[in-house]
Amino acid sequence: MYITSEEEKILKGERGYLAQKCMTFLTKYGDAAGAKRLINIDGTVDLHPGKMSSWYPDTAISYEEIVELASKGEKFQVPTFANKPESPAFIVDGWEDCGCWPQNDPEYHKECMTRLIPLMQMGMFPTLSCDYYLVSSYVPTVCQHCAWGESSAIPWANAILGARTNYDGCFEAAYLHKIPEYDMHLDENRVATRLVECRTKLLNDMHYDLFGWVVGEAVGVEVPAITGIGKPTTTQLVKMNAELNTGGQVRMYHIPGFTPEAHDVEDAFKGYRYQEKFSIDQSNLKAVYDKINYASDEDVDFVYLGCPHYNLTEVHKVAMLLKGKRCKANLWVMTNPWTFKVAEMMGDKEVIKRAGGVLLSGSCPGMMKGVMPPASVMATDSAKQSYYITGFVHPRKLQVWYGTTEECVEAAVTGKWAGKWRRW
Amino acid sequence: MTQQKIVLRGRKVIGGVAEGEALVSKAPVMGWGNVDIRRGVITERGHPLQDVPLKGKVFVFPTPRGSGGWVYYGFTRFYGTNPVAMVYKKGTAITILAALVMNVPTVSDLDKDPVQVIETGDYVNVNGDEGIVEVVKKKE
Repeated sequence: MYITSEEEKILKGERGYLAQKCMTFLTKYGDAAGAKRLINIDGTVDLHPGKMSSWYPDTAISYEEIVELASKGEKFQVPTFANKPESPAFIVDGWEDCGCWPQNDPEYHKECMTRLIPLMQMGMFPTLSCDYYLVSSYVPTVCQHCAWGESSAIPWANAILGARTNYDGCFEAAYLHKIPEYDMHLDENRVATRLVECRTKLLNDMHYDLFGWVVGEAVGVEVPAITGIGKPTTTQLVKMNAELNTGGQVRMYHIPGFTPEAHDVEDAFKGYRYQEKFSIDQSNLKAVYDKINYASDEDVDFVYLGCPHYNLTEVHKVAMLLKGKRCKANLWVMTNPWTFKVAEMMGDKEVIKRAGGVLLSGSCPGMMKGVMPPASVMATDSAKQSYYITGFVHPRKLQVWYGTTEECVEAAVTGKWAGKWRRW
Repeated sequence: MTQQKIVLRGRKVIGGVAEGEALVSKAPVMGWGNVDIRRGVITERGHPLQDVPLKGKVFVFPTPRGSGGWVYYGFTRFYGTNPVAMVYKKGTAITILAALVMNVPTVSDLDKDPVQVIETGDYVNVNGDEGIVEVVKKKE
């Protein structure tokens, strides 16, 4: 990989040992990626606060080193946002009521929050969420180069915003505002190669969740142009994006006439012909629904909602469904810290609490590697959470029901799963 | 009689040379919760290689799928449960970062589909420096 004289100086240590470590990582990463050069980030960065804020342990910047940089007044060079904390993962709000140790230990919580301080001193905004992009109040614009992480966020940046990112947000990128230029940073890799025609109406949030998985599984790592999916809501797009990057590894897609880089189907393919075409109907969605439903016992112990982290309308919907009711099963409703505060102001947190549920922010059972109230049967409205959580607890068997948000709330109230597939 | 070698040429991801028996996943491979780095196994429910140790194998797969937690495959190195090399058809940032962490010879974007050409049990030499993968088919 070509490096500039300025980058060479950093690599030799002229800007200090820690900048040298960061540049060492970026050049090694660029070489492995087959990138021709590093590019300056003019958009935003997001990173997982904690031990995973660096991808590569050999040159990772430790907590003590971040403290050192922060104490010298060093700053991130681009607007930098916090994803969910990882290693350690922790619940940011509502932890007092979560019922799981050490998450509900005030000392543990204080220690975890304290460790965010040096990152914040360097300029990281504590959005602390997988869908930080919904609340960051600052988003990259079309063609800006970024370094982001997180399943739903990558296609949000590339497809919805028209910004450019690979799955590589990290401390080093934020500190040196550079990242290897390859894959999604280059025009030619953003052109659609697969045509996906949706042959059924998608009526509810679960349909978009399933549709995202179907498309991800069909196209793998390729770029699809998707037609026939109507006008998805923000909730539906976030869910679809999460599943595009779970059923497959879709970093970029086009919805002609809807996403910024394709005004029509032809434009999505930039004059080339599609290499493969997929028609999606109800039977494809049903096949994924059957795979994600991984349970036979109707007695539900635990209901998890908020993967990706619920937005305000989702939290409010759950509060309205719960009003005046009482849960038999444990219920967690997970959101981001910003939404948590607004939902609290709205009274939704209190409604959920009165029904016996808990509103939380900043993490999820997957992120906490299986931490949840004791359960042998859980229910969720997220294919992503369902499919990973069984892996986290493996070889312990955990049954997981999957259905609509309404079906999940009903299961929390009655303690019984009554969800079923409905043709439309 | 020496057995005929099949040669695949691709792109170096990580250099170095290693060889061993192939462990081939026909299905895409997922990380994060669906890999157990201590045991060095895939934990994805219903995956054809669920609970099959990766240790010492040349790990061959078509594509990654899912979360950036794919990088955890790289961390098998710290538990000594890692494959000796990786060969995959097409990757993304998450396979590249995992390969960097694992630090074993890794080749991708080959001239033949490795998942079609290579079968579990074949003996495979991976030359990461040259981007060359040599396959000796297992005896029937």
